[in-house]
Amino acid sequence: MADLSTSVAGIRLENPLMLASGILDENGYTMLDVMNNGAAAVVTKSIGMEERNGYSAPVIVEYGDSLINAVGLSNPGIDNFAEEIRIAKRSGKPVIGSVFASDAESFVNLGRKMQEYGCDAVELNLSCPHVKGFGLEVGSDPDLVEDIVNEMKSKISVPVFAKLSPNVSDIIEIAKAAEKADAYVLINTVKAMKIDIRARMPVLTNAYGGLSGPAIKPVGVRYVYEVKKETGKDIIGVGGITTYEDAVEYIMAGASAVQIGTALYTVGKSVFRNIISQMNTFMDDEKFHSIQDMVGVAIR
Amino acid sequence: MNRITVDQVRDEAKNVRTLFFRWDHDVKPGQFVMVWLPGLGEIPMSLSYVGSPKGITVKAYGKVSQAMIDMEPGHEFYIRGPYGNGFQIESGRKLIIGGGSGIASLLPIADSDTDALISAKTKEELIFTDRFPESRLFIATDDGSEGFHGFPHEFLDRLDISVYRKIYVCGPEPMLYRVMQKLASMNARAEFSLERTMKCGIGICDSCSVGGLQVCRQGPVFDIEQLRNNPEFGISRTTYSGKRVYLNMK
Repeated sequence: MADLSTSVAGIRLENPLMLASGILDENGYTMLDVMNNGAAAVVTKSIGMEERNGYSAPVIVEYGDSLINAVGLSNPGIDNFAEEIRIAKRSGKPVIGSVFASDAESFVNLGRKMQEYGCDAVELNLSCPHVKGFGLEVGSDPDLVEDIVNEMKSKISVPVFAKLSPNVSDIIEIAKAAEKADAYVLINTVKAMKIDIRARMPVLTNAYGGLSGPAIKPVGVRYVYEVKKETGKDIIGVGGITTYEDAVEYIMAGASAVQIGTALYTVGKSVFRNIISQMNTFMDDEKFHSIQDMVGVAIR
Repeated sequence: MNRITVDQVRDEAKNVRTLFFRWDHDVKPGQFVMVWLPGLGEIPMSLSYVGSPKGITVKAYGKVSQAMIDMEPGHEFYIRGPYGNGFQIESGRKLIIGGGSGIASLLPIADSDTDALISAKTKEELIFTDRFPESRLFIATDDGSEGFHGFPHEFLDRLDISVYRKIYVCGPEPMLYRVMQKLASMNARAEFSLERTMKCGIGICDSCSVGGLQVCRQGPVFDIEQLRNNPEFGISRTTYSGKRVYLNMK
């Protein structure tokens, strides 16, 4: 019987599967339910300093087995989120607080609050809009990324994960800018759009959205592989995982754990137990005794 | 998205209209669709007619529903779905309890062995009362302007609940909650169609969640056993931004 436990930046996980930020993680009772369905940890919805409604509906497009979303960082604001963390922590499993801001000081304030609320780690959502505008993301600016990560690491004591955007020309440059982080989370959504040809307009209220799901898995696997090979740092893989094969592929590319999101749409909450069971069989068949045995074995 | 053309419309009450349309897709009673009006927005709507033609009964409360109220034959809208878990229909005597426009979601399950309790704030807001013979119809209005003066959960004391094989309920959450408490105390078999703020409609954004369950996916129809110990039903919900607010209904 293989040992499916793993750890990332010192955080022990009973299995490698986490719930990704932005999926079923706004309400503490839902996070609790997802963990009761087998997820080893959850990453909360990305929380900002202020309450924010985000975009009005439509905020989602079903794109085959993938999704394009533009929720617009809807969130209750950090001061209204303590109770959700408290409820989620009843699971006894790690809860990772995701935060977004446009400057280092705000990121630090958010991180402090998440730590104070009991989060086991903080995940930096670097895909939020840059104050310079022009569609730029914070995560595309290496100097700003470095500043944010360094400030976070000097001010809070729980592990800091940097979630990197795939919408960059040089992922290694950005990864190195974030090298003080305890782990990388790769990848966030890919920029996308869906036009309805009969309505003759984009479907999403925001027009632009983020593509997630199986459509982007090859991008995620490549970036995990590239960044692991180049930096050797702990990585959590995310992007299109719906089967045990997907999870194993990310782990072989270099991830120590994976996050699942869009599969909650195609499979439902049972996706966690399905993958755990099948991964167990795969590991026994292929004679892997632990997750660590598989991490990065595909790297040449 | 599926483009839909309105075939026919029927006014049900002030600010309430049924739009009839053709759509070759199976829809179970209690399921819903997301209705998109390009440029205006998207809202969840249950179907009041699930056969052919299909129908959606709209009450105006926002810009999308107001625009739908104003639709005439030939006008178009878009839908995706159907979504959700519908009613588990059983043969035998039924009671349906509809609050306000909630009765529209229950219409598809009404048959010749169905009694209906239709409630509204006032008589002008009663809809579909003409769909039932008088011997099978009960009416309640908050202000007593028609039928029983009071709320559905109060009226239930006057009925012999044991004659019903199953009871189906749809309406505002405060009404559902009080009816649930009453029916639970009577050990009645019942299903409730819930409604909460929806964004994605497909079970991933967490907007419509109630105690870990997603109204758009595990619901909108829940068995009474799923609700009686639910930590949020009748107690708290989250706003569009995701902030928890308490309903203070005790």
